[in-house]
Amino acid sequence: MSISGISNSIRNGGRRFQQAFYDCLPNRVVNSEKWQKRIKWVGSEISSPENRLILGVTALMSQPFIDARNKSVDEDTRKVSVCRTIAKIVAGTATGYLIRKGCISAINRWSKLPSSVDKNGQKVKLTKLNTFFSPQNAISDLTESFKQYRNAFGTIAALMVMTVTNFLIDAPLTKFLTNKFVKASGGVRNETSK
Amino acid sequence: MKPQSSIAEFMSKQFMNCKNYLYKNYGENPGKMLVHTGVLGWILSSAAQVAAVVFNDKISSKEKMFLIPQECADAAVNILSFYIVTNTFKSIGSKLVSTGKLTTPAIRKYIQKAGLEKEVGKVTTDIKKGMTGDIRQEYTDFKSGVDVITSTVGSILSCNIITPILRNQYAAKKQKEILAKRNMNAAETAVVETPKPVKPLRMADYQSLAYSKFSGGNMKI
Repeated sequence: MSISGISNSIRNGGRRFQQAFYDCLPNRVVNSEKWQKRIKWVGSEISSPENRLILGVTALMSQPFIDARNKSVDEDTRKVSVCRTIAKIVAGTATGYLIRKGCISAINRWSKLPSSVDKNGQKVKLTKLNTFFSPQNAISDLTESFKQYRNAFGTIAALMVMTVTNFLIDAPLTKFLTNKFVKASGGVRNETSK
Repeated sequence: MKPQSSIAEFMSKQFMNCKNYLYKNYGENPGKMLVHTGVLGWILSSAAQVAAVVFNDKISSKEKMFLIPQECADAAVNILSFYIVTNTFKSIGSKLVSTGKLTTPAIRKYIQKAGLEKEVGKVTTDIKKGMTGDIRQEYTDFKSGVDVITSTVGSILSCNIITPILRNQYAAKKQKEILAKRNMNAAETAVVETPKPVKPLRMADYQSLAYSKFSGGNMKI
């Protein structure tokens, strides 16, 4: 069998498997208007900052328990490990949420289009700065796709910023919070280093 | 033309292309954006952690030889498990909507009107083809919502359940290996009194290992 024949068989096999999987799932129509609105609201309003917040909250509900059940370490280690995990989640979620929000808001300010209007309905005077992040192929800044573009650009900018703040804010804040949490939980018997 | 201005022009053109690409690709696809920026986030935070080990003067070059591959493997676990799980969930959500298996009454009506009922559920079907006007907007808004929900569920599972379990197992295995190596080195220089039984990691070992690294494991940004 030739190489193209092999790749075709793999592709067809994959497609058949995929089809079998989707055949198992029932067809559903979301009849409730309330749920239709909720689903559309999520698509429009939930972006990376909210996603980071959701991840942080659910992480607090799961990761400390996973660490607390880690039998490959002793009791004191488990305690510090749980405190450290909580501290890491609190520090990471707080900075992650705020920096994402801040960057998206900055991109909103600096991505005006010729059709953009201010709060009073007046046309915005375009400058080099407030059009710095504007794409050429957009017509209006009021569309859903332009809002998602701003979210995407803001998130990417936030990730760049966080590569630095990860060292400057998250790491020292995590260490500080870990020590606070360990102290609050009664400390450990044979603590040796900070 | 001066070479400096041509470089500036080139950079400006590339930046414009990048903005147009982002608008075209993520404008109608917030779920895809969440998956891609999530992966980028893991790559950047992993790169930062590897760099933190590489440039840390307190870690000896011998330990670096061990820690750097360990950090890279840790990064691979984080990035791969995030991408595979989150993207799989997002793809399932997208496919359910694009094949017409999950719809709203308006989209269902369109499917019947367009004679696509026999095509519903086939993996090769894309009901969006031929959609225009309000129904296209209805479809896009609904699909964006489903994409964001499924990618969020995928990232919760990946970041909060699968990755920590995989990483804990991997970290425990690696830490035991480091300690075994250290004990072996110590045994070579000291007189061995009595053989010690294998015990779980102790506090001092955990703290020295955790603090020798900048973040003591993963730090999602």
